[in-house]
Amino acid sequence: MWVASRPLVWHSGIFLLVLVLVLVPLIFLVLGSFSTARLPGDFSLDTMGWINYVKVYTDPGTYELFTNTLVYVGGSSLFGISLAVTLAWLVERTNLPVKLWIYAGVPMTLAAPGMLQAMAWVLLLSPRIGLINKWLQDLFGLEHPPINVYSLGGMIFLEGLRLVPTAFLMLVPLMRSMDPALEEAAAVSGARPLSIIRKISLRLLAPGLVAVMIYQLMTALEVFEIPGVLGLPAGIYVFSTKIYAIVRSATFMPVYGQANALAMVYLLMAVVTTYFYARMISRSEKYTIITGKGYRPRQLNLGKWRYPAVILVFLYLFLAILLPFAVFVYASFLSYVQTPSLEAFKGMTLKNYRLLAEYGEVGAALKNTILMVAVTATATVFLSFLVSLVVVRSKFWGRKLLDQLAFVPHAIPGIVMGIAFFWVFLKIDFLPIYGTVWAMAIGFTVSFLSYGTRSMNASLLQIHKELEEAAYVSGAPPWRTLWRVFLPLMLPTFVGVWIWVVLHAVRIAGMPLMLYEGPQNQVLSILIWNMWDEGYVPAVAAIGTLLMLTLLLLTLVVRYVGFRQQFMQAPNV
Amino acid sequence: MIKLENLHVHYQTDQGRVHAVRGINLEVQPGQFYTLLGPSGCGKTTTLRSVAGLETPDEGEIYVGDDLVFSSSRKIVVPPYRRDIGMVFQSYAIWPHLNVFENVAFPLREMKRRFSQQELRNRVAQALTLVQLDGLMDRPAPFLSGGQQQRLALARALVKEPSVLLLDEPLSNLDAKLREETRFELRELVKRLGITTLYVTHDQLEALTMSDRVTVMDQGCIVQSGTPMEIYQAPQERFVANFIGLTNFVEGRVHRTAGGQNQIGEVETASGRLRCVLPDDIASGDSVVLLIRPEDITVAFDLSFHRENVLHGQVDALIFMGDALECQLLVGGQRLRTKLHPSSGIQRGQTVALHLPAGRCRVLRSS
Repeated sequence: MWVASRPLVWHSGIFLLVLVLVLVPLIFLVLGSFSTARLPGDFSLDTMGWINYVKVYTDPGTYELFTNTLVYVGGSSLFGISLAVTLAWLVERTNLPVKLWIYAGVPMTLAAPGMLQAMAWVLLLSPRIGLINKWLQDLFGLEHPPINVYSLGGMIFLEGLRLVPTAFLMLVPLMRSMDPALEEAAAVSGARPLSIIRKISLRLLAPGLVAVMIYQLMTALEVFEIPGVLGLPAGIYVFSTKIYAIVRSATFMPVYGQANALAMVYLLMAVVTTYFYARMISRSEKYTIITGKGYRPRQLNLGKWRYPAVILVFLYLFLAILLPFAVFVYASFLSYVQTPSLEAFKGMTLKNYRLLAEYGEVGAALKNTILMVAVTATATVFLSFLVSLVVVRSKFWGRKLLDQLAFVPHAIPGIVMGIAFFWVFLKIDFLPIYGTVWAMAIGFTVSFLSYGTRSMNASLLQIHKELEEAAYVSGAPPWRTLWRVFLPLMLPTFVGVWIWVVLHAVRIAGMPLMLYEGPQNQVLSILIWNMWDEGYVPAVAAIGTLLMLTLLLLTLVVRYVGFRQQFMQAPNV
Repeated sequence: MIKLENLHVHYQTDQGRVHAVRGINLEVQPGQFYTLLGPSGCGKTTTLRSVAGLETPDEGEIYVGDDLVFSSSRKIVVPPYRRDIGMVFQSYAIWPHLNVFENVAFPLREMKRRFSQQELRNRVAQALTLVQLDGLMDRPAPFLSGGQQQRLALARALVKEPSVLLLDEPLSNLDAKLREETRFELRELVKRLGITTLYVTHDQLEALTMSDRVTVMDQGCIVQSGTPMEIYQAPQERFVANFIGLTNFVEGRVHRTAGGQNQIGEVETASGRLRCVLPDDIASGDSVVLLIRPEDITVAFDLSFHRENVLHGQVDALIFMGDALECQLLVGGQRLRTKLHPSSGIQRGQTVALHLPAGRCRVLRSS
């Protein structure tokens, strides 16, 4: 291999860099939680104490916070997983007629940013302007709007819907890799269909299912945008929104140390779930066993249940993408939000889109966003690749530790990462980073390092050394081997990770909201958040429509690259 | 014990509908070891799965034991769990979440009859002893070697004492040495138990060494059925001769028939006239192909050696195979292969006399 197997200077350099990037923010987070100084900038080791912890954990509001978080995380995971299991089972194990729609449609729902989806549902279900509420009131002559989306129920419903695509994509291979002979063996052993499902299928799926469940708990726990849009206006807090509210409170003088004290517990919860997740994954690998070649999975005949199943599938796709997108497009052409009517359609205007072009902040935010996501994505790809190279291909003494360090950010919720870097950038004021897009880029790069290195590790492991050795013995010198064998094989992963990072960095509002300062440093997600806050709903709808279309296109590119990647997989040796 | 009548099976693949089994009739006698042999995609596994009830045929009838388990005309489809069968899968299908004991106990726990704890233990222990897995009862299934998994699968198939045992390429996942030992053990075991066995394989050696009766399948149809010796020595189709063992093919034309079944007639070939066994429906002048197995050819160094069916050929290639010396000879432009003892001292380029015994020369109509 062209990376010399001797530990080189750059191995240590990468190791140190990752160590600093991951540990320094965490150290600041811990120290900050003990700080009694008013402002992070005034922090010194002399002004330390337990006061933040005492204040936070004697506050009865904190216990409400726990309950809310628990109900919201548990409820949305349960709802999301049940839906995902049903969908995955329908496409993999039955003769459902519209499978292609699910395979194509479910991953598409990943394209819509959570913040925009939540705003779309506000347009549909808010007590004041919600279109569905208005329509139901007219239909049944109700005095009060029947549904309130600004509630735990609303948060659970929407986050549940949003968990479906990831869970689905994790469950499909799980169901596919289960050798049908295991179920057939039960059938010829005399077990009835229900007994097979109970004693064999579910038992075999259990470890994977629990792993998916824990993964979804982590996602729901970390997300800021859904509780931010649906919970904050009603004063229903979960951990992520509470920390944000403390730091970014408009009315009170923020108590930064208390935010850190809360973040510590929040972080602990995330670390514990991550730990269980990692354990489940290693346990489920133990279940692998010889499998037959070229089996055809048997499909259950749904019979008369075909039509209810098809309706369920389309209802999901309708609620998860079609309806939110439609309401955004609709609202983007209105002067103000109103129920659809002949009058509303007559009054439609391009005013909102024109406004976007003229409004200076939009252009600045767009430029910032492009700079920020391009830097983040490129830095993530580059750093992850170097880290994985050391982890997979070198004999560097600390490569195992490096791998674990790079995985640590996976357990850190975005808001916690945000507040940690908030302290770092305020303290190291000799670098003028605080409040700029560079701060966001650094924060995101560290956050996405775990995803980046996992993908790169997997790809590098797949490029068997013999592929390169074959190039050497065919007469290619190392740099030609790198150019003609190694890079072409890695390229799909580079492109895949790059786009994945762009897709995520552009939609996440939590961390940028913690790190930006001043209108000249806004990115799109912040701009949307602020405009929504100030009530420019039709303008938000216009930006949102354009953003969703862009993300949808990018998602399609990712699917294509992903397909190519599978296609180019080297055979196992 | 097993009877298939005019069985047709279709199944759906990504490439479209496949007519996998095309009108098969066969009957397995009680206690018989019956093998379906053929290349992959010939429909043998689909046939076996239809007997198990894992595949639903489109047409025909299937009897297992005395029960009619499938009939298209009478609309009977007995589900697999009500059929009196045991089955071993190619992948063994050992349930990884259960230990050895629970894997074997599974079929017993699914039976209508309730077993006492003691009875259950005895039955499972008995089955495990049969396959020499006693002592591994509490081992989790994923911690078994390939050979142990195979034997566990067999124990699970036998534990409820079914009247029919179905085996789907059970040896194909074992390594060569183990496969050879297991071939013998498996046949011994099912013979000792006297259980009727339907065995599916693509390995000719397994089929020939283990079976009472072999049925060769190709493209969804039965090509030939008979004892292993009949199949090997008297193939009735070029496909069978080609698929099983090595065969020399010599093109020719019938010179004289003798009439009657399996009579010796004469065939004109490029290298001379040869006396051979002719099928009864053949006439003078028909284009035919003559088959002779390498081991049936005798090689003589003495060129004056003269009997009927002797040809002269030149040694073109010698391949040392350890236990034998494969000798390729050119006879009138035609290549014939034969086997000699490694110490025969034959040289490349040497001219030798070949004796093709008339009784070993089979003739098939050219297609």
